[in-house]
Amino acid sequence: MNKYYTDTLAKRAQPTPDWIAQVRARFPVEKAIDEVFTRKLKNRTQAPRQGMDFTRLQQPLLHFLREQTGQTDLDVRNLQRLSGGASKEQFSFTLDWSNSSGERESLPLMIRMDPGESIVETHRLRECQVLKAAWGEVPVPEVLWTDPEGEHLGQPALIAGFLEGTVQPPQPDNDERMSGVGLYFKPDLRAALADQFVKILADIHAIDWRKKDLSTFDAPPANSVRAMQTSLGLWERAWYEDTLSAHPVMERAALWLRENMPTVNEPVLVHGDYRSGNFMYDVDLKINAIFDWELAYLGDYHDDLAWASLPIFGGPDEHGNTLASSLMPTEEFLKKYEQFSGNRVDHDKLRYYQVFSFYKISVIAAATSIRVAYSRKTHLDAMMNFSGGIGYVGISQLNRLLDAVD
Amino acid sequence: MTPEIEQFLSGMKKTMEEVVLPNLTDRFAQEQAGIVAATLGFLSTIHDKVFHYELFENREYKDILQDVISGLENSGEQENDIQEVISKINKHFSKDRPEDQSALRPYAFLRASNETMRELLCELIQLQPAMPADTRAQFEARLKPFFRSLETRERSWVKGLGFDPEADQQADIAELLYDEKGFLRGGK
Repeated sequence: MNKYYTDTLAKRAQPTPDWIAQVRARFPVEKAIDEVFTRKLKNRTQAPRQGMDFTRLQQPLLHFLREQTGQTDLDVRNLQRLSGGASKEQFSFTLDWSNSSGERESLPLMIRMDPGESIVETHRLRECQVLKAAWGEVPVPEVLWTDPEGEHLGQPALIAGFLEGTVQPPQPDNDERMSGVGLYFKPDLRAALADQFVKILADIHAIDWRKKDLSTFDAPPANSVRAMQTSLGLWERAWYEDTLSAHPVMERAALWLRENMPTVNEPVLVHGDYRSGNFMYDVDLKINAIFDWELAYLGDYHDDLAWASLPIFGGPDEHGNTLASSLMPTEEFLKKYEQFSGNRVDHDKLRYYQVFSFYKISVIAAATSIRVAYSRKTHLDAMMNFSGGIGYVGISQLNRLLDAVD
Repeated sequence: MTPEIEQFLSGMKKTMEEVVLPNLTDRFAQEQAGIVAATLGFLSTIHDKVFHYELFENREYKDILQDVISGLENSGEQENDIQEVISKINKHFSKDRPEDQSALRPYAFLRASNETMRELLCELIQLQPAMPADTRAQFEARLKPFFRSLETRERSWVKGLGFDPEADQQADIAELLYDEKGFLRGGK
């Protein structure tokens, strides 16, 4: 399937050093983001990989953990691929080792590893840093080790504690929802989880990031558009590098987002993918983990508010009304957020970030997902093609929002 | 020729659902096989409309590009960058002429031509800040109905993938492509 309809498509599929340099110069992004995007382009012409063969991982993992811990007698058991997830390969395993008290224990762990090319090309050290920054502040899996360049495990990866809990409650039609899109929670679940969901988001935004080691994050100045410039730069660059088809509505949206960029008064830690499907709850209906921090950045809290209430992610209530992150009406979500955080919701800014949110989901689903499947780079090629459908719904919504705000 | 494509697809879907899936034990493999079966079901709904979809888009892009060029040329002298894109569009129209019978072209030709026209329209959209205010306003006004037609069509095309929370409000793609007599809309 190597037919290039235009010169631009040929350059995207076979990026030359000159083309990569032009792309890097055109889109302002954070330094760490530039590193991973540039690596992705340089790797693009490498041969497709076999995603199901993960037996190769057992020995490198064992060596890596022995090296990291200095324990030559530790063992790795039950290495298994996890279902679900869309952007990273995920595995679970049991580590038999001696803990910090010197006692032998069997520890359930998970690995998050980059595929050959991902729907969101992100930085494992950056994800590790943000998880450590959030540890103790909000419920997250504990990160134990990281291989940021993939020197030991073949691809960049992090190893964290494996937590038990529920991400997708049973659905009315017994179907699983891809990446948690459109989940349904029964009223009793919604009642138990809604406040926790909002409170944790408020807590994330209250993390004093200046006191954390976030060396892979660019710290934007207060009262400037810098955070938004680099964030938009990331998504524009992802679109430009990955799309298999130019799209006039996406160009319209990018231009509007550039020309209407709001000031970020006081940058906060933005989760970047805060929604149903990215949290887990235990048997006591307590949220015990927030996942998928790989899109975190320092920016405006309205971004998380817009994303979490995006209609495309939310499932319906019993009357068919779409709920913010499948848990509560959007007005209630915003009101609770103001109460828990003390931050005011600026509806003009919220509208801007709604446009931005639809732009982002359209980039992920209509460009990057389809690109990685085209390049045969992931373990999820069939799913990546299928999820293109979300992207075109996103583009449609984006156009309708732009008509309304213009 | 038989079997028809529809029969190939429905046969594969049935085999996947009734033979392969029930015998898979790995959770991840089950999940992926389910997506393959769903994809085959989606392909059954669209495979016979792909050529006409591209043909329809070919007309739409030719019409909008001719329209915006005419508008830009009537509004006086344009910036060099805009002139350059107009030249590229005219050059493309010498390869895929608006008056040609595009229905006689192969699929790949239409696809390539449409992609070229999409890229050129996108270049013009990015150059809007270089247009005088009234020219830009006219340009945007011309594009709005085009954008609406485009996103409505695409949304109908992907309706069968099951992600649209407003799926019941979207027309079937056949309704958008064909008129009440069964002919492709916009035919000349």
